[in-house]
Amino acid sequence: MASAPFRRRPPTARRLGIVVALVVSMMLTLFARLYYVQLLDPHKPVQSAHLLHDGVIVVPAPRGLIVDARGRALVANTSVQEITVNRDLLQARPDKGRSVLAKLAPLLDTTAAALAKEITPCSPTVPAPCWTGEPYAPVPVATDAPTRVVLAVSEHREDFPGVTVQTVTLPRYPYGSLAAHVLGYVSDITAADQKANKTLNDADTIGVSGLEEQYDAVLRGVDGQQLVALNPQGYTVGTGHQVPAKQGDTLVTSIDLDVQKLAESSLRQQIADSRRAGKPATGGAVIVMDPNTGRIIAAASYPTYDPSLFVGGISQADYAALTNPAAGTPLLDRAIAGEYAPGSTFKLITTSSLVMHHEINLHDTYGCPGSLTIDGRVKTNYDSEVLGDITLRDALGYSCDTFFYRPTAEEYYADQRRIAKGQPAREYLQRMAADYGVGRAPQVDLPVGEQSAGSFADRETRLARWKANRAEYCAQGRRGYPTISNPTDRAYLTALANENCTDGWRYRAGDNADMSIGQGETTMSPLQLALAYSALLNGGRIWEPTLGWGVVDAAGHVVRTIAPHVHNRVPVSQSLFNYITKSLDFSRGWAVSGAFAYIGSKYQNRIGGKTGTAEVFGKGDTSWLATWGPTTKRHGVTKAKFVIVGMVEQAGTGATAAGPMLKRIWDGILGANGAPVIPGSKAETRLPKIAPQVTVARR
Amino acid sequence: MTSTARDPRAPFVLTPPVMSLERRTRGYDIPLALIALVLSLIGALLVWAATRDQQLAQGANPQAFLYRHLFNVVIATGLMLAAARLDARLLRLFGPVVYLASLGGLVAVFAVGTTINGAQAWIRVGGGFELQPSEFMKLGLIVGMAVLFTRRADERRSRSDRADERDGDEPPSTTDVLLAIGLIAVPLALIMLQPDLGSAMVLACATFGVLIAAGVRARWTVGLIALGVLAAIISVKAGVLQGYQLERVTSFTHPNHDVQGAAYNVTQAHIAIADGGLFGTGLFRGPQTNGGFVPEQQTDFIFSVAGEEFGLLGGGLVVALFGALCWRGLRIARDADDAGRLVAVGIVCWFAFQAFQNIGMNLGLTPVTGVPLPFVSYGGSSMFAQGLAIGLLQAVHRRSLD
Repeated sequence: MASAPFRRRPPTARRLGIVVALVVSMMLTLFARLYYVQLLDPHKPVQSAHLLHDGVIVVPAPRGLIVDARGRALVANTSVQEITVNRDLLQARPDKGRSVLAKLAPLLDTTAAALAKEITPCSPTVPAPCWTGEPYAPVPVATDAPTRVVLAVSEHREDFPGVTVQTVTLPRYPYGSLAAHVLGYVSDITAADQKANKTLNDADTIGVSGLEEQYDAVLRGVDGQQLVALNPQGYTVGTGHQVPAKQGDTLVTSIDLDVQKLAESSLRQQIADSRRAGKPATGGAVIVMDPNTGRIIAAASYPTYDPSLFVGGISQADYAALTNPAAGTPLLDRAIAGEYAPGSTFKLITTSSLVMHHEINLHDTYGCPGSLTIDGRVKTNYDSEVLGDITLRDALGYSCDTFFYRPTAEEYYADQRRIAKGQPAREYLQRMAADYGVGRAPQVDLPVGEQSAGSFADRETRLARWKANRAEYCAQGRRGYPTISNPTDRAYLTALANENCTDGWRYRAGDNADMSIGQGETTMSPLQLALAYSALLNGGRIWEPTLGWGVVDAAGHVVRTIAPHVHNRVPVSQSLFNYITKSLDFSRGWAVSGAFAYIGSKYQNRIGGKTGTAEVFGKGDTSWLATWGPTTKRHGVTKAKFVIVGMVEQAGTGATAAGPMLKRIWDGILGANGAPVIPGSKAETRLPKIAPQVTVARR
Repeated sequence: MTSTARDPRAPFVLTPPVMSLERRTRGYDIPLALIALVLSLIGALLVWAATRDQQLAQGANPQAFLYRHLFNVVIATGLMLAAARLDARLLRLFGPVVYLASLGGLVAVFAVGTTINGAQAWIRVGGGFELQPSEFMKLGLIVGMAVLFTRRADERRSRSDRADERDGDEPPSTTDVLLAIGLIAVPLALIMLQPDLGSAMVLACATFGVLIAAGVRARWTVGLIALGVLAAIISVKAGVLQGYQLERVTSFTHPNHDVQGAAYNVTQAHIAIADGGLFGTGLFRGPQTNGGFVPEQQTDFIFSVAGEEFGLLGGGLVVALFGALCWRGLRIARDADDAGRLVAVGIVCWFAFQAFQNIGMNLGLTPVTGVPLPFVSYGGSSMFAQGLAIGLLQAVHRRSLD
């Protein structure tokens, strides 16, 4: 463009030149860089992420059922409605889903802001409350939502885009607290669980007690998957292949629902009766098992608890109540994990030892004085009863204590003489106790921590314990228990501590005598006692008992059968078993202490049993009864379909509390008042047919 | 003073403030308008390509962004035509009005503004539209400064020319420069408060261009550059910059330091552009673009679409078009009167620096500061402001033909 000659010449061409230079250099720089990046760069960056990748939404599998020996569900599943919010869908809306949350919040009695926080994926910049799952997975905002909420959402779907109502399963206990202790409970997955088992997902639950824990692997099932296509920002852009969840297998147990009910109600009633009679009766237990198969048919423990407290997580307060000793520690399974002095029920083991080692025989009579002085201490019969010279039969039947003191004290002195000569002690009684399973966990199919081993004293353990605790004994002796107000107790405990301090390593004749009648340091769980008495009825086999019987898959096919193992055979002759069962047969009437509650009943001749009344320092006596029946006798051999052991804490003699408690159970099993609660008065012998599970529709 | 002599018998006829009808139809710099239009249409394609798949994935209309971009272009064209009709007197009015209105907008964003990507820079105006006052501020400031300098120069001249008609090449006085600095200081401070580092840099750069064109003494230009560098150092050291801004700047110097964090955008844009090669992958065929890997791709990182799908040829064309745009603008500046030259240089500096800054950050040359690529990036406010700017260039051009 030619400048007009009279136009003032642009005065700042030089300055425009600066701008031109700047512009040109900028454009050239850009072009050079572009050229380098696109053509020259020898190390061009490439995309490392897949263009589209898959996300997995876990569809938790419903847990398998736990059913009784006749296929009736003890733990079932219940479907509840869960409301989930898909954050991706909300984010895609113009208002980022604000209106949806605003409508949903009042239904759930919360605020939109709180909901928004709840569904925001956790990250270093997003503090709790936040969503801990996969960012693209729908977030559950209400489990077991009230019907009005479910209806409000599902009837107005257009108002709630991204909000879904889905069905999820939770454990259901059709019989409330029935068999709660052995069934156990489930809990949400913890980080420690996931560390131990990498396949566990956040959405899963895991059995943490009882059969739920022991058989968790079969009950859990296989989680399903919903694949979703995600774009690089992590938003869901489509749904892909779905793998349905596979429900866990059904666990068939040997528990019989009716017997279990009966055992629990009878236990409960006995606690009430004993309390009415003025006894503390703080707890109790019943074990019903089949001595011939080693299967447990019922296991009751009082006090009990409602396992549904654990569904969806138990509150601190509830858990504290379940473990409160003042409330009787309801969570403790007294039948299997309790440890109690067995009292005279232990005489089965004492008799086995004394007779098999020829310390007494079945024909002679031995003294049963009212009291006996052993090692400088006076030991008495219960109520200082005097029976004169009696046979072993009557000693068992009347439950004479002094009868057993003399031979076990003699056994002790014989061992002491051996030790003086440098020979090892024989400790026949201890070895027989070990053979009967005392001091060893019974290996029932429950978690290791939920079965007690029981205990007894011997020279070795006594010495070891003394070495470990000597300083404490001596210190206690010096202090003299100033906190204990009762002067008699204080004097006794102080004397005991002083004795322990100086002589605590010493195993004494009195200790052996105590053990012969199931006292002193001898303890057993009701299950262990049932196993010992099962051996009496099955030719000496000590079972590793079972609660689980079989595993059945969702299609109804038996996956596997669980069979109890024989751990060992007690070294006792069949003739001695015959003698003991005959001695304790309730047909002997008043000659058998355990028979008192049963005299006159229709089945008195078909059962037998041994009472126990265990003294507990500072507490009331533990009432025991170990029974068996209905018996069949052939060639002098007694067989029984069931062994039932009952125990009531602080409730008096075996005959007064455990006796009537077990009678109600025998009445039911043997059909004393109508049809027996268990058909044929015998345990089921075949696994029940389990109907195929209806697949629970999810999502 | 004019090439067509006015009828001496009618010396008192007022020149109408808007150009007469016959002059309306001529005197446009057609190449300038065409370059801007081509850039805008390329932008439409790129915006479409960048948003298509993401829109589809969310079940939305894949052409939604395309249509809105084209709609913005239409409005911007209208604004350009309107602005092109301004003459010198209206320009003097236009400057302060736009400046003050933008200043008001900048204050308003703090009261009613919307925060997007960390900067409170938008005002929601209903209908899904959002206004970004800082875009109009660029224009307001350039014109405002041009008016300031020319008015001061006229006053000086009218005081002195009675005695001696000197050449008007006298540099602006210290007072002029201080006034100009005051003019930029207020909006700059407001924009930094949003905070919008990118717009602030563009503003500073355009101002710098105006100052050069106005012929301020070298000591001022050098001093202001030194001041800018000093301010940058202080703001980094004293923590005036927000954490994320600093992160962007430092990630620019260490691009491989934090691939998933602050440098993510740059890394992904780099991958996309490198993927393009000489010819590109073809429209809609860029895996990096279709995969939605580059965040903010339809706005700040629109150039990465050009780089990936049209390769060096496409990217080079965009750069060349900006070069051509600046050339036309500088041609207009060369031929313009004082005020027109300042406006033209300011606008050219604005476009040039903003394009450099934007393409540079796509290429990993400059820090990520969130400025759109003129005409190409999706966004109404910037498009309208640029339309007005092209219109002003046309007006300057047409007046220089008088």
